[in-house]
Amino acid sequence: MKPIWRLRPRTAIPHLRNSAQSQFTALRYSPVPRTYTTTNVLENLYDVVIVGGGPAGLSLATSLRSSSVTSRLRVALIEGLDLDVGRKWKPSGESYSNRVSSLTPGSVGFLTDIGAWKHVQRNRVQAYHGMQVWDGVSGSRIEFNWDVKNSSTIAYMTENVNLVHGLLSRLEELGGAQLIDKTRVEGISFGEDHGTLDLRTWPVVQITGGRKLAARLLVGADGANSPVRTFAGIESRGWDYGRHGVVATVKTEDMPSVERTAYQRFLPTGPIALLPLPENFATLVWSTTPEIAAQLKKLSPTDFVAMVNSAFRLSHVDIAYMAKMDGGISQEYQWRQSVTPIDSAGVPSTVLEVQEKSIASFPLKMRHADSYISERMALVGDAAHTVHPLAGQGLNQGIGDVQSLIRTLETAVQTGKDIGSTLSLESYYSDQYFKNNLMIGVVDKLHKLYGTAFPPVVAVRSLGLRAVNAMEGLKSMIMKQAAGER
Amino acid sequence: MPSKIPPLHRVRPSLIFLSNFGTNSIRAHSTSSVDQTEISHFANLASTWWDPHGSSRLLHLMNPIRLSFIQRCLLNGSPIPDNSSALTSPGKPDPPVEAHSADNTQKLRFLDIGCGGGILAEALARLPGTESVIAIDPSEEVLSVALEHARQDPMLTGGKLRYINATIEQLPKELEGQQNQFDVVTLMEVIEHVPRPSSFLTATMEHVKPGGWLVLSTIARTWTSFLTTKLVAEDILGIVPRGTHNWSKYINVEELREFFGGKEGWKDVLVMGCVYVPGFGWREVRGGEKVGNYFFGVRRGLKEGAGEK
Repeated sequence: MKPIWRLRPRTAIPHLRNSAQSQFTALRYSPVPRTYTTTNVLENLYDVVIVGGGPAGLSLATSLRSSSVTSRLRVALIEGLDLDVGRKWKPSGESYSNRVSSLTPGSVGFLTDIGAWKHVQRNRVQAYHGMQVWDGVSGSRIEFNWDVKNSSTIAYMTENVNLVHGLLSRLEELGGAQLIDKTRVEGISFGEDHGTLDLRTWPVVQITGGRKLAARLLVGADGANSPVRTFAGIESRGWDYGRHGVVATVKTEDMPSVERTAYQRFLPTGPIALLPLPENFATLVWSTTPEIAAQLKKLSPTDFVAMVNSAFRLSHVDIAYMAKMDGGISQEYQWRQSVTPIDSAGVPSTVLEVQEKSIASFPLKMRHADSYISERMALVGDAAHTVHPLAGQGLNQGIGDVQSLIRTLETAVQTGKDIGSTLSLESYYSDQYFKNNLMIGVVDKLHKLYGTAFPPVVAVRSLGLRAVNAMEGLKSMIMKQAAGER
Repeated sequence: MPSKIPPLHRVRPSLIFLSNFGTNSIRAHSTSSVDQTEISHFANLASTWWDPHGSSRLLHLMNPIRLSFIQRCLLNGSPIPDNSSALTSPGKPDPPVEAHSADNTQKLRFLDIGCGGGILAEALARLPGTESVIAIDPSEEVLSVALEHARQDPMLTGGKLRYINATIEQLPKELEGQQNQFDVVTLMEVIEHVPRPSSFLTATMEHVKPGGWLVLSTIARTWTSFLTTKLVAEDILGIVPRGTHNWSKYINVEELREFFGGKEGWKDVLVMGCVYVPGFGWREVRGGEKVGNYFFGVRRGLKEGAGEK
């Protein structure tokens, strides 16, 4: 069995000298530090240092400040980029960012609780209530439709920058926080023994300019290549899918104004999804081979749009053929779709144009850290796990981490624990690890199950999908799971 | 009750008091409440006291339920009127932060006897409603671990938490003309390690303020507790170091009730049974005090002179 968590090998605490006097003078704390180094260190002691100012890191900072239990903790957040980009965000109604996340009602509930959701620009958030998922080889389909009247939203499509803007506005409303942006982490080491205060178990973060921040608890919200995770000596395991995710913001023919649907088709090269944004905007996430991804990025806007429309309508054989064409795809699509029977109710509205400079791609990976905690360190979000985007769960898992961590820290404060100790943190790990592991596993299996056109597999998975589609009870359970209901 | 107990065991003369007890250390004298075998047993465990998977894991896990029991006692009778919010149990909406920010609220002084590595003492000292914690233990080795650990936390190095290598009999009864008494005196998992519990309790009671609480936790002497704490916990599962418990020293709740019933002014009694469920931690169990681990809180009457027969 794997150990529940790994402890960093720590130097044994040497017993004090036999002189009993020293034991007690040790606790006599002198308010006037003796040396310059000590002054420097004592001024830079923090209860929580968060590395990373993305949605996960900012959610944690915001929830720490907004909870009456943890609001007295001294918190600093370090971010390499300029947070003014999010703070002074002035969106235009004519375009949408290509970095969009699907926030479950569970995540939105938490963001509401910490007071951030009211600062998110709601006119740029699109809720959807239906989901159409089908097999690109057999055509077997599963439909999910929530009752709009019961406001049963599956998810809220939200630009990441909108969320970041909301979190930063909420932090400002709470009286600000120590946000140290445009600053890199130059190194992490353990502190020193200062006599009255022994910081040898405290991680000390050195930032641009040489300043050092000692952390009772260092939180890595610093992404998939987390320096905090590396310092903590926590392994992250998994594999690369050999697939790239191509994202873009597109405009479609008019979509229904109230009830909106997300569409996802599983092709043997990977799933393609079109998720609604306000008006007739939509965000595209197309997982495919690196070769096709590179090809897609080279296409003219007209040909790119034709490829997207093909991918939802034509046979996977047609798509594979067209993906190799260097031009004239638009004409090819017109001809092929005219001879292909298409159920227009089961496919998304036709894509008309792609927003300029919105096409981007990134490699798809599955990673899961062996542990989320070690003494005085915790990982949240992508630093702890990276999931295939097909279920739109990445950011929701990060927010789930923050929700669990803040609950853990509140309990620790209320029961007088040292919030950095593994004894305080272990409930965060036990709550969140297995929940995330299950989701990562299911998403990973789905990717693999649908990553083939091999007939027996297609037959079995189609049978399964049709069977699930016929069982309302099971479907509603799946939807509740997807919506993050607890 | 005997007021003076003949010396049974000698502790090393290493008694040092912190400044507020005066720098002239009191000469250590032999004392009644300490069993030398117990001291060496815990001294051997000292190095792993703060290891989250070490010998004291069950005590670490027990800490939140200890605090909620202390909180329950304080809610049943406040040592100082209008101040009962010093502690907040998990899940309670009223956060300790509020109590702290209002500086006019009276804060509590704690005495933790047999503090060991400082699991309870540190937690009490971190709570914003705490004025100070004095934590005493007869084992020098164990205390050095407590001191060394407390040094890692700037919240504890400001003088709020003080450790003293002493037995309860060695603790001065008066300080600067004032009685050396506390709002809450705690004896967590201590009394079952003491050779003469009645004289030990009598000495302890003198340090409880009128209106204050004496809070202890221990194990009932039953066949179940023999099976769970000796056979299963120590011998079979090994989650408690072998030799930690001496079943014949366990004390039943009726014996405590009877003891305090004979003391004038010690009437309010609160009892809470609890059980450790592997995988879930410590849980309160109604009637559990008749079976195994339990908490016992008794309040000293407000009347002057209460607590002495």
